[in-house]
Amino acid sequence: MKQEKEETTTNLAFSDVITSRLGGETITLCYQCGTCASSCPVARITPRFNPREIIKLSLLGEKDEVLSGDAIWLCCSCYNCQERCPQKVEIADVIYALRNIAVKEGNIPNIYSEFADGLTNEGRIVPISKFLEKKRPDLGLPPLKPVGVDALRKILSVTKFDKIKQEKKEAP
Amino acid sequence: MTSYALFLGCTIPARQPSYEASARRALTKLGIELVDLANMTCCAPPPVQSLDLETGLSIAAYNICLAEEADLNIVTLCTGCFESLAMANTMLKENEKLKARVNQILSSTGKEFKGSKEVKHYLQVLLNDVGPNRLKENVSKNLSSLKVASFSGCHLLRPSALLKFDDPEKPHIFDDLIETLGAKSIWYRHKLKCCGGLLRGYADDVALAIAREKIANTTKAGADCIVTLCPFCFLTLDLGQVLMKSTFHEEYNMPILHYSELLSLALGIDPEELALQFHKIKVYSVLNKIG
Amino acid sequence: MDEIKVGVFLSDCGNQLSEILDFDALTNHVKNISSVVLVERNSEFWRGKGLRTILDAVKGGKINRVVVAESLPKLSEVNIVQAVEEIGLNPYLVEVIDLKDHCAWPHRDTPSEATEKAKAMLLAAIERAKLLEPIEKLEFPTLKSALVIGGGIAGMQTAVDLADLGFEVNLVEKAPFLGGLATRAGRFFPTDDCAICIQSPASDVKTITHTSRKCVYRSGLSQIPNLNILTNSKVVGVEGVPGNYKVTIEKKPRYVNELKCVACDLCTTVCPVEVPDKYNANLKTRKAIYMRVPNVHPPVYVIDESACNFHDCAKCVEICPTDAIELDQKSERVTLNVGSITVATGFQEFDSTVIKEYHYNDYPDVITNLEFARMIDGFGPTGGAIIRPSDRKPAKKIVMIQCVGSRDRRYNPYCSSICCMISLKHASLIKTAYPETDVTICYIDIRTTGREHEYYYERAREMGIKFVKGRPSEISRDPDTGRLIVDVEDELLKRFLELKADLVVLAPAMVPAEGTKELAEILGLELDEDGFFKEYNAKLRPTETKLRGIYLCGGATFPKDAPTTSLHAHSAALKAAKFLITGKIVKDQRTAVVNEEYCGDCEFCPVTCPYGAISLVSTTEDHFVARVSDLLCEGCGICVGTCPLNAIELRHSRPSQMLAQMKALMSVNGTSKPLVLTICCSECGHTAVDSSGMAMMQYPANVRVMKVPCTGILQVHQFLEAFKAGAQGVMVVGCKSDGCHYEAGSQKAEKKVELAKMLLKEYGIEPERLEMFSMIYIEGDKFAEAARTMTDRLKKLGQLQLMGGS
Repeated sequence: MKQEKEETTTNLAFSDVITSRLGGETITLCYQCGTCASSCPVARITPRFNPREIIKLSLLGEKDEVLSGDAIWLCCSCYNCQERCPQKVEIADVIYALRNIAVKEGNIPNIYSEFADGLTNEGRIVPISKFLEKKRPDLGLPPLKPVGVDALRKILSVTKFDKIKQEKKEAP
Repeated sequence: MTSYALFLGCTIPARQPSYEASARRALTKLGIELVDLANMTCCAPPPVQSLDLETGLSIAAYNICLAEEADLNIVTLCTGCFESLAMANTMLKENEKLKARVNQILSSTGKEFKGSKEVKHYLQVLLNDVGPNRLKENVSKNLSSLKVASFSGCHLLRPSALLKFDDPEKPHIFDDLIETLGAKSIWYRHKLKCCGGLLRGYADDVALAIAREKIANTTKAGADCIVTLCPFCFLTLDLGQVLMKSTFHEEYNMPILHYSELLSLALGIDPEELALQFHKIKVYSVLNKIG
Repeated sequence: MDEIKVGVFLSDCGNQLSEILDFDALTNHVKNISSVVLVERNSEFWRGKGLRTILDAVKGGKINRVVVAESLPKLSEVNIVQAVEEIGLNPYLVEVIDLKDHCAWPHRDTPSEATEKAKAMLLAAIERAKLLEPIEKLEFPTLKSALVIGGGIAGMQTAVDLADLGFEVNLVEKAPFLGGLATRAGRFFPTDDCAICIQSPASDVKTITHTSRKCVYRSGLSQIPNLNILTNSKVVGVEGVPGNYKVTIEKKPRYVNELKCVACDLCTTVCPVEVPDKYNANLKTRKAIYMRVPNVHPPVYVIDESACNFHDCAKCVEICPTDAIELDQKSERVTLNVGSITVATGFQEFDSTVIKEYHYNDYPDVITNLEFARMIDGFGPTGGAIIRPSDRKPAKKIVMIQCVGSRDRRYNPYCSSICCMISLKHASLIKTAYPETDVTICYIDIRTTGREHEYYYERAREMGIKFVKGRPSEISRDPDTGRLIVDVEDELLKRFLELKADLVVLAPAMVPAEGTKELAEILGLELDEDGFFKEYNAKLRPTETKLRGIYLCGGATFPKDAPTTSLHAHSAALKAAKFLITGKIVKDQRTAVVNEEYCGDCEFCPVTCPYGAISLVSTTEDHFVARVSDLLCEGCGICVGTCPLNAIELRHSRPSQMLAQMKALMSVNGTSKPLVLTICCSECGHTAVDSSGMAMMQYPANVRVMKVPCTGILQVHQFLEAFKAGAQGVMVVGCKSDGCHYEAGSQKAEKKVELAKMLLKEYGIEPERLEMFSMIYIEGDKFAEAARTMTDRLKKLGQLQLMGGS
């Protein structure tokens, strides 16, 4: 009995990792009804993404496939799935949780790295061009107030957000 | 005079000055005071939540703290900012443990989230502070010939348990506010479906395919324009049509307007003041219909 | 007061026990205890020569208290007690203990320690026996009449059974006609024959054959003289006690005289009012005066008072050939005196409007299974034609959606169990009548678990019914054609489908019938977490409730199919019959009794009694005392554990008796281990101790067991008394907290243990010395484990030093 338990522990551990993560608590309720997939705008356009399959793979413990694949980054966060799920699985939040776990392991798409850089450097994920900022008076807009970058950097340091993106830089 | 702390976010000042210009002018005209607070940052929308949700919530909470200190409720223009801030506000108010954790993180900035203020989208301000009657009274242009395909985007409505804005399956607030201005809000297939905007930069092909469906459906339904609330939706549908032309060789010429622009036009504000030149798809056809 | 003379009888089970226990030492120990006048030893005492020894001692006046150490006391005690009663000694003056399973066998490795423990056990039994008092048997008369609430197939079958057995039966139905859901359903699976079939062999007054089935209208149900049927009637109040209920019924006026109406239908031809016929899924209209077609009973028309114009019209009155219409009829209140009540109120379809993405009540072409049943019924509003309600055109493409509001944590988390078969039935009926119709069923799982159900599913597939594994996300409508589009992912094909449909049939959840909550309140019944009437025990007593004399049957406890409903109905009838047949309830007075001088009118005990047995009675103008109904009291003692003033006691488990046992069990150690007092409930706790001994699981002999009816009887100060009596540790063993045989006792005990631990800490006593365990009979190993754990724990904690010495 004991030996069997050890063999399966590595697989089970992944769904435990997810359920203990903020947002991932409800993943084990899924009974694969497919309402989420049918509600999903992305799944209907491309087979690269299917929320039901991502959950299935995660529950089966296929950690590597889920975390290093591109599927989890294809969710457009429309929350349609989460609204309609009859088991109240917080599907979109589960996908965020999976992304968070992937990021901790160093798997970050480039565009997200850029967002993170923008945040640390300027306190905005989309930087404002000097050109547009200068144009504001012409457009009758008041000058922009300064951004709280210092406060933001303190937060990022406490949550070790700034460390996360550094791992990516070190990875080949 | 009702005052709100205006939360601009990143995308609007960076890419859509026309949204900001029209919103400021229209809301001021309707008697809403918009206060610009210093030290606000990015709201921490889904792209940030994707990297670390806890960080995202803390950043959102930080911005709410600024408003709490100024004793003002927040109003946002971008629905992404609305979702991020309202969601954080509700989550922290309802979950003591989470609030304690976030305040622990915020202590490094000297701020403490108290949950004393509300986060609203400007549609709520129009609905509750201005009211449909006063809004109607202020409309000076005739929009009755305008067939509008409304698209509020996902994050005004969902996740509905946290945002509590409108019925997520049968929303009507946005359509009502369009019809209050005199225009007609028409039905089109998959009206509530996402535009795919958040996939831009990661999977442009998928994002474009999703946006294309929306443009096609609105065109099929005979809309004169699409009216949006989210700057991402706007970008995806407006700039997106330029890409649709080059990628699919399809030309739709469907003007995309921010609701605040439609509102401004309806209130009689001069189109020259609205920075409409930043639209990729020209809006002359709409202006002509309004007169 | 007679002198107390205790006789002690020790069984050695064919000299087996004496291999382990030193019976001579036991006999000597017992002889010297005060009031013990006789000690005997034999192989067994519960039958034969041994039993005669006991009886002779009693008959001869030698003893008036009996203590027996016998094996399997839960069986043997019954024999001894019955025999003793027959010769005139009150049977509650007998105490039987188990030296085999509670002593010799679990401690066979330490025989001398076992003997010491046996001494303590015998002392405890003797001290308790000395404090026992005679308990009377009470008789409460019951009426030989029954009430059945609900005239669907469940209620009708129960009512007929009871009537056939000779009881006066009242069948009350709130609709104007009997039949319940069956009349709308038309046909029932798996046989697809008439839903309104009811077995009633004996009550068929016309023939003497053993025909098994008759439709209700020819079953003779309405001709049974001792079956009183009240339709258009509702239960509005219930008073009284089991066996003597006074039920108030409100009878709504029918406005048609049952004795005069000949069901000629002339009235409907002149009635000017037409309203949507909700019974027929609003697919047609009906008049204000109407009768159901086909009908079950009574064959009398009824007027819908919300639609009728009454005296402003009265056309029906004019035309009726027998003057049966009486527009001035009023509601009446009827009082019924019955011995038992059976609830058979059934279930209804969940309102799918809340699942907005399916647009039920929005798109007319989205209907439910029950509404579809009206459509396919040849007697129905469309004559059996399957049409689109929107334009009445034939429906050629039909999509069915399962689990609408079932297995849905937003609405009804449970599986409604019958909808898969209902939809398969409808699909099969469609294909049989209109083979060219395209039918697709969208499902999460197909559940066909009943006896013939899997074959039914197989035949459905053979008929060409299509199946898509996937729960549709949305139904939309094509604005040009008006046709419905169902969005679903076919998970097996991994393809997204947009199914076109003329008609979509939803399989909604089955939820409790309207009025369930109100009726539960009137009767004092509990509802389960899904809102259905709660069965007393799902495994063994599915048609009973925790209240005597009140039974449940049919879909009122959970959705079920017709075969299961029949079983359920007959079970409920049997239980009610057993209750009523003797004409009396016999109960002993092992109940709670209030010392009215001490009672402080705090109102705690009436609230905590799970059986509503305690009421407040005024003694003076403004003073109330609690009073216990011997009929309703089940003898658990939860009230005793609740009372802050020790004003209430259980006659057969008084605090003085318990204290005497505690002291006795702690009086002798004989082991090098710390003494542990174990207090077990008489239900699960004590049986776990039995089974551990029966299986010869070994645990140390310093663990001493005493029994209470329910751990809920325990008060915090009793734990402290146990330590004072010499216990180094105390174990409380009860039923699992969600399975207490007395509803809430073990939960209350858990709270008391928590409180006691806090107190112990204040006194400088380690709170870990007190622990509560919960286990059931088959977990005897858990008991042995707990006993060993406690012993080890106490060894580590060391000797307990009580303040002021003790």
